[in-house]
Order: sequence, then structure tokens, then C-alpha cells
Amino acid sequence: MGKSPLLDAKIPSGPVEQKWTVFRGDADLVSPANKRKHTIIVVGTGLAGASAAASLAEMGYNVLSFCIQDSPRRAHSVAAQGGINAAKNYQNDGDSVRRLFHDTIKGGDFRAREANVYRLAEVSVNIIDQCVAQGVPFAREYGGTLANRSFGGAQVSRTFYARGQTGQQLMLGAYGALMRQVNEGTVKMFPRREMLDIVLVDGKARGIICRNLTNGEIERYAAHAVVLCTGGYSTAYYLSTNAVSCNVTAAWRCHKRGALFANPCYTQIHPTCIPQSGDSQSKLTLMSESLRNDGRVWVPKAKHDQRRPSEIPEDERDYFLERRYPAFGNLVPRDIASRASKRVCDEGHGVGPTGYAVYLDFGDAIKRLGRNKVQERYGNLFAMYHEITDDDPYDTPMRIYPAPHYTMGGLWVDYNLMSTIPGLHVLGEANFSDHGANRLGASALMQGLADGYFVLPYTIGAYLAGERLGAIGTDHEAFDAVEQEVKESVAALLKRKKGEKTITEFHRELGKVLWEDVGMSRHHEGLETAIRRIREMRAEYHDAVFVPGEGEELNRSLEMAGRVADFFELAELMARDALQREESCGGHFRQEHRTRDGEAKRDDKNFAFVGAWEYKGRDEEPVLHKEPLVFENMELKQRSYK
Amino acid sequence: MISWKKNLTSSIGKKFVTGITGLLLVSFVIVHLIGNLLLYAGPDAFNSYAYFLEHRLIHGWAVYVADAMLILFFGAHAVAGISVWQKKRLARPQPYYQAGNAGGASRKSFASRTMIVSGLVILVFVILHVRMFKFGPTATVVVDGIEMRDLYTLVVSTFKVWWISFAYMAVMVLLGLHLRHGIWSAFQSVGATSPRYQPVIYVGGVTLSILIGLGFFLLPLVILFFYENPALSMGGI
Amino acid sequence: MDNHLTLNLLIWRQSGPEQPGMMVPYTISGVSPEMSFLEMLDHLNDDLSRRGERPVEFDSDCREGICGTCGLVINGIAHGPKSACTTCELRMRSFKSGDTISVEPFRATGFPIVRDLVVDRGAFDRIIAKGGYVSVNTGAAPDGNAIPVSKFDADRAMDAASCIGCGACVAACPNASASLFVSAKVAQLALLPQGQPERDHRALKMVEQMDREGFGDCSNHGECEAVCPKAISISHIAIMRRDFMRAAVQ
Repeated sequence: MGKSPLLDAKIPSGPVEQKWTVFRGDADLVSPANKRKHTIIVVGTGLAGASAAASLAEMGYNVLSFCIQDSPRRAHSVAAQGGINAAKNYQNDGDSVRRLFHDTIKGGDFRAREANVYRLAEVSVNIIDQCVAQGVPFAREYGGTLANRSFGGAQVSRTFYARGQTGQQLMLGAYGALMRQVNEGTVKMFPRREMLDIVLVDGKARGIICRNLTNGEIERYAAHAVVLCTGGYSTAYYLSTNAVSCNVTAAWRCHKRGALFANPCYTQIHPTCIPQSGDSQSKLTLMSESLRNDGRVWVPKAKHDQRRPSEIPEDERDYFLERRYPAFGNLVPRDIASRASKRVCDEGHGVGPTGYAVYLDFGDAIKRLGRNKVQERYGNLFAMYHEITDDDPYDTPMRIYPAPHYTMGGLWVDYNLMSTIPGLHVLGEANFSDHGANRLGASALMQGLADGYFVLPYTIGAYLAGERLGAIGTDHEAFDAVEQEVKESVAALLKRKKGEKTITEFHRELGKVLWEDVGMSRHHEGLETAIRRIREMRAEYHDAVFVPGEGEELNRSLEMAGRVADFFELAELMARDALQREESCGGHFRQEHRTRDGEAKRDDKNFAFVGAWEYKGRDEEPVLHKEPLVFENMELKQRSYK
Repeated sequence: MISWKKNLTSSIGKKFVTGITGLLLVSFVIVHLIGNLLLYAGPDAFNSYAYFLEHRLIHGWAVYVADAMLILFFGAHAVAGISVWQKKRLARPQPYYQAGNAGGASRKSFASRTMIVSGLVILVFVILHVRMFKFGPTATVVVDGIEMRDLYTLVVSTFKVWWISFAYMAVMVLLGLHLRHGIWSAFQSVGATSPRYQPVIYVGGVTLSILIGLGFFLLPLVILFFYENPALSMGGI
Repeated sequence: MDNHLTLNLLIWRQSGPEQPGMMVPYTISGVSPEMSFLEMLDHLNDDLSRRGERPVEFDSDCREGICGTCGLVINGIAHGPKSACTTCELRMRSFKSGDTISVEPFRATGFPIVRDLVVDRGAFDRIIAKGGYVSVNTGAAPDGNAIPVSKFDADRAMDAASCIGCGACVAACPNASASLFVSAKVAQLALLPQGQPERDHRALKMVEQMDREGFGDCSNHGECEAVCPKAISISHIAIMRRDFMRAAVQ
């Protein structure tokens, strides 16, 4: 397998346990006096963005922080429920950095870079310390020590949590750190800004173009480096558990300027979401995976069984996860649980009005633990479920079904988290780096904070110290050209004065195509059809979409229109990548590639690589570059949770 | 000194002042009500009590101290209260098209929303009340050999004027309303509540407000309908 | 079986911060009871957009009640008639066909209107910036278990920390006071050992900023607690007041 010269991962030499230590010891530093002279743009204020902006500012850099929401505290990290992993081994159950590393590599189905994952496991312990010191109210034991729970795909209890609102609490911790720096004057905060392009000078990332969402003005910002923390692209599916404003635009525009996009087909479909109820639905709601700790997943053994769940006797229920995966049972990793649910529904065992749902039953847990204990653990989730469905999960089993939730793919980065555009660093869900083809539960929060608090602050210093960049202003001619392009693309969206189909309808159609053919289960023919359909829809979109209102004002429709346009382009790349990857791994399941009993079948000989795509132009075919994955610390073997 | 002024005029400082002075004024009102009950015990008891307060308690100094403190508390309470009301108008110049009540845990009530009205009426009332009784024209009587002001006759004859009684009773309803929100709110304003005690304080405050309001309300009513007019009976002696 | 609702809406429209606004009537049909309130507005906006009219602007993001972005005053109540629920979580089954529903933005001097139902809640960020955190630099933390916190205190702190910063407390308060929001952060950190070193300073600075932002004073109506999506208790306001006064006399 040929290695692309574009993709130098810059992994330090030496044993995996030493790489990060050696890197930190050897990396060039920017002197305190010089840090003040460097400006860094951080786009996005989720866990990765807020923690990076705060840490960089604490170190002495000038930071410009941008977020699309009206306040940095609202970034979608806030919605993560379950918890955050760390190899603390507080439970004395045999956890260690090495075990977390192992679990993450294996959970990612051997499609992640060993060095990055080991570093992630290593710094996981620092994250917990940092967050505790910030006053994050993690769950505690009666003795005052931190509590843990086990979480999807792990056999040790290493997940730290704050009720069902862990993401919110970590987010508020990082947000507090960020606002402290705003108060100090080291961070300038720009809320309600959408990054629409990146500005390169001499091939290096030196600034961004934003749209001020309050008044529609196109603004320029210059810096010495740009850090992208703009999250994933699940909303390409229209219906996902992501927030309405989650989008791929910032990452996609960087991709078009030269940043390679890695593994776009690796998408995670989360098993425990509330099933769709109607066509008008704007999003799907996730129920924390922690529910699977005590809830049992089942469907009726009989096909198309219309009886109420309480009327179905025990021996007529199929606890299909426990049956098929006796070692892990209901706690198998997300990709496996999702596919198993889809399979039983496709076979006609699904429940609920649409037949696309399975039961998650707490009857046994309530008998075993008592209602109070169950309420203490999951009270807010039960209340949320009740509110949305009008069903009380204390009395009747929940109905759940998988939904797009997280994207492992993203902009390609090297060990230093820098993309193929020098100076453009990418953190958190926006990069591709740590989760391979499937992310384990409670690892997204870990990665976001690891990147922001503990990795980028070191690696960006090495970049800046090495480059010795001079200051540039926003009057540089590179800004003129990019701003002009941005203005033209905004104007193009606004040119029609009427239209039959709304932006939402286009987006919903795109989502359906992705869900059907680039969703939980994919095959050659379907992917080719999807590519054709996406191209047709994209052409129709640009011919027919009507965007009401003007450019120079708050205009939500205009914002959405630009994002959907980018989703069309990304969607095609997702399908193309899925087509290219002739194997099944993690969240990417190709029907042609499965074992005799229907499980995913990897092809390590031909596909143990990161597939990173290079943009070649609007109507040109993108080019695939490969970064081979080398496993020196783990034996490549078929994942088994049986 | 500057920070003291700044902190006391801050949103929390103001409410702290309102709360503390409110609680002190409530204590005064309770003592006042107990004193008033002596009217039921007859002219001698009432007049002697008034004489004791005015001339005997700490050699007659108590009344000056009490007056000064009451003026201070009342003034501070009124100034802080009016300032809260002014700030509220600035904080939401454009009212809602539709006003609603969320119910549930809310303590919002007719009483809580009309504190400024009940408060201002009480302010005017207190001025008139002091002029009418403390500085009102009185004859003198002799009780146990001591010559003293015949406040009893002043009170009873005043309340025998039906419209004064009714006006007084109306104000006492407002006082009750003011205290209905005011008492528990004062505890909350000075931070003297906790999740555990809050319900007790709330219910206790509401109960006390009813007792105080009722106590003051009944007096003119009883006098108007059941007492003889002392001016007439005096003429008869 | 058509259980769809037809509703009369009265929605505040305002084309910019300085422009005058007014309540504008709309009729919408085909609303299913499973829809969330915001999906109902999406539906209306699709209709408006098809007719070439300007959609109603409103803020929303996560649509599962945690980000705090959405917030409308529905029939005079912030976040609508259901308790402990954000606007995005409110379902249309709470309404009957033929109902007239008024929809207004959060109104407060501290939350200037940007457009239609969108308001600027930057004041909350500025208040947090003054001290709503523990000042600890990255990398300067002791081991997580080196700071024991009793379960009772951790739970109480978590009650306060669950605030989503939506601003419904301000919207519902007859005085437009931000006390519940500010007290939730002050109390969270006051209840934890990590918050002690800056406790006094925090209370003074955050309250000072709150006053500067033009919010009203709290006169204990408690309407904030009733509309709070996380049912945060006004007992936190008592904690904030104690901390503030203690700091003020020192």
C-alpha cells in the first residue's frame, strides 16, 4: 500500500509509551515574551475549542475565539449525557493507560493511529484532575471520592459522570475557564459568528472570514495560526442527535482550500435514541447509553407482534443482544448494538407504530434495585423520554432505535493535530484522529478535552517556534480575494425571489438518501445510486432553492442554505469513501463483507489505512491518499464481543 | 465607606435593607397590636400603658429612641422599596402582551405584585395615623393619682366616625396583604432561609400576616358597633 | 384518524433592534400533537417561506432541553405551560385545536431584542466572566481524589450547576431580575471546596456585573423557579445573598 507524501503523520520515534513524553521534552518552545506577539484563532467553543482557547490564553497567547451560538456555553458538547473515560483505576478493577489504549483501538476496529490513541489514554487522567479542580460536580461516593460507572464496550468502571449531564458540566467547566480569560483580556470572544472560509498566506493558515450572524456583515480576522474545533457532520443526515446549528461548513471550506478529509464514511449510529414519530420531526433525541447498564433490549419472538409489551410473556421475548453476545450482552459497542437492532427490525420483529424500534426494558432493574435507585440513576432521562413520547418508562418499556450521532471521520491531522494546511490545527470531533471506525461511549468528551487542554498547547508551540511567522493584517491582499469569493457565494444563494421547495425539504431528502444508502449498512449498488442521487439533488438545489430575506441581517434561512449546500458536497464524499472501502469495520458496514454469521469482516491486508481525500475542484473527482496504519502494540484481530 | 454605600445600594444590599427593616417593623407592629388589645381592657389599662411607654420606660427616653429608630427603619424601607419598583420599570420598559402565571413553585401573588401600592398607601396612612393619634388633641385623665393623656377616648371617639373606621379597616387589609408577601420575603431577602426551612417560613409568614391584619381590622369594627361613644358618656357624667 | 390541530398564533415580529415591533396573527393547520413547539414554528416558517414571506426568527439549537438556546414566552409564560421544560421540549399535545397562542420574546432591558423572537443574552456571559469559575490554570490541578467532596454537597452543587443559562428566570420575573441565574453559579461554587478561596470575591463581582447589566432587583416572587427548566430553587438566591452580605461587611 503506497503512502502518500502529503500524509506525514510526524509520529515521534520510540516505544508508544515514550512518544508523548519524548515529544514534550524535545519540542521547541515559544518564549513567554514571544507568546504575547502571537495571535491564535480558535473556531468553536465546545469542549475542544473552549479548553484550547482557555489553555492557550493562560500560556500567554492572544486568542480570538469564535462560536456560532449566542454564547460559548451552548456548543453541542453540552448535550453529551453519559460520561467521560479516564484510566484512573480508582475502582481497583484492573484499569490502566494501556488497557484504555487497548479498548479504544479495539473499539475503533483497528482503524485508528496507535500513537494518538496512546497519548489520549495517557492524558485522560489529567483531564479528570483538571475538571475536578474547576468545580465540576462529578458524582461522588459517600466517602467523598469520585464515583465511576461502566459504559458501553468496557469491562472496567472508568467512566466519570455528573448525573446524565456530564457533557454540560464539563462544558461549563471549560466555558468558565474561557470566560476567565475573556475577563483577563487574553481572549476576545466573538459569538454568533459563522466561519465561512480560511485565508492562506504563503500556503499557511493565517486568518478566517466570518459572517456576523447578527447583522450579516462579512468580517476578516488575521492570526498566526488557526485552530478548528467545529464538531462533526452528523446533521448531513438531517435527522440526527446533533443540534440544529451543527454543520460541516468550516471544515468543508478548509477541505476545499487544501485540508484533506479523512474517513468521511466512518459515522456512528447510536443505538439508544427515541424513534422517529413523524415527518415534521427536526431532530432525534439520544437517550444515554448508560441506560444499557440496567435496561435489557428485546423484541417479540413473533414477527409483527401487535401485543402490548406487558402482554408478551417472558419466553416469547428475544433478548437478542444477550443471546448473540453473551460476554458483553446489552453492553456491546455502539456499532454492534445498532446493527443488531436494525437487523431484527428488518426481519419484522420491530415494535411501535413504524415497526422500527426495539424495547429497552427496565422491569428487571426496577425489581432488583427498586424504583428509587433507578430514578436516582436515570431520573432525568426517564422524564425526558416521558415528555417526548407521553409513555412512562417506569411502567412500560422504552422504545429505542439507532440514530446518527457522531462522526469519526474528519479533517486529517498529524500527530501534532495539524492538517495538511500548515498552521491549521483541527481538534475534537472535527478531526479524524482517535476513534478509528467506531467511537466507544464516553470517549468523545475525553478526546475533546485531551486535545484542547493537553495536546494542542504543546504542539502548536512547536509549530509557531519553528515557523517564526511575521505579523500580517487583515488588509493583506489574500483576505480581499477570499472575502470576495465568500460574498459571491452568499449572493448566489440569495438570487432567487421565489421557490417551491424549502431548504429544509432539500435537507430532509438528502438525509433520507444518506440514511438509506450510507447509513448503518451499505452496499456497492446503493452507494453508486446515492452518489448519482446526491449529484442530481445538488444541481436541483443550486437551481431552485429559495432563500428568503436579505444578506445584511439576521437570517437563519440564509445560514441553513449555505450549510446544506456544503452537506451536499460532503455527502457525495461520504458515499465515495464508503464505496472505496471494500470491507466492514466499525460504523462502516458493507453488506458484501461479512462473516458467515453476519458480523462485520475487516480486510486488514488491503484496508488498514486512513483514507484521506483531496479536493480537486467543483466538478473534478477527488483524489484518495492513504496513510497506512501500523500496529506495533496490538495484535490485529477480529473484534469479538461474544 | 464607599464600598459600604456601594454594597448597600446594590440589588442585594437594597433587598437586605428592605428585609431587615421589614422584619424590625413587623416586630414593632406586633408589639403595637398587643398594646392595642388593651383597649378591650378598658380606658385605665390602655391609658396607663401609653403613659408607661411615654414617660416611664427608661425614664421616658425609650420613646425618643423608638421614634428615631422607627423613622429610620420606615424611611429606609420605603426608599429601598421605591427604588426596587423604579428599577423594575427600567428593567422591562416594554411589558408583555399577555401576562401569565406559571403556578407550581411560584410565590407570585396579588400581594407580591402590589407591594408598591400597599406600601405607598401604608406610608401615607402612617403619617396620618401618627398625626391623628400621637399628636392628636386629647383631654387628660387621672389614673392612680397620675395625670395622663386620655388616648383611650381619642381612639374610641375617632373610630366612632364610621368613615374613618372603614378607611382604617381598608388600610389594614392592605397591611395584611403587604405582610402576606413581606414576612417570608424578608427572611429570603436577608438570606435566612434554606430548602429545609423555606416552607415553614412561608407558611408561618402568611399565617402571621393574617393574624396581624385581622387583629388591627377587628378593633375599629368592634369599637364602631359595640362601644359606646365616650364623648357622649363623658358628657353624661 | 385526523388528530391534527389548527391554531391561531399571535407572534411578535420586529425587524431589528431599533425598529418597533408588533403582534402579528397567523393561522396554522396540520399541526400534529407529537410536534415540539419549535417544530410547529418550523412548519409555519416553511409555509411563510413558500409564500415568499419572511420566516419568524427564533433561537434554538440542541432541541433536547440542555443547551439553553431556545426560549419563548408562550401565553405569557416563559417556556410555555409545562413546568420543568424548555420551549424545545414542549409538545403540541399541550394545546387544543382552535387555541389562540401568543408567542413573545424574552423581554428585559438586559436582553435586547435582535430580531423577532431572538434576544441577546450576552449579559449572562459578562456576568460569568466576572467570577463564575474556579481560577485554576490547565495543568495545575491536584489528583481528582485529593479533594474529597461529600455526596450530599456534590449533589447539592449539581442541583445548582444544572442551570442551562436560558434566561427564562429573567423573562418570567416581574422585575426582570437575573438573580436565579447568578445565584445558581454562586451557590454551586459556594457548596464545593474548590470554590472557597474566591467565594467572597465571586459573589461581590458577579452581583456587581448583574446590576450593571440593567436587570431588576429580586423581590422574591419565585416565578423564576416555577418556569426554570431545571427547577432550580430560589433557595440558591438566599445563599447568594448570604455570601454577598458576608463579603460586603468584610
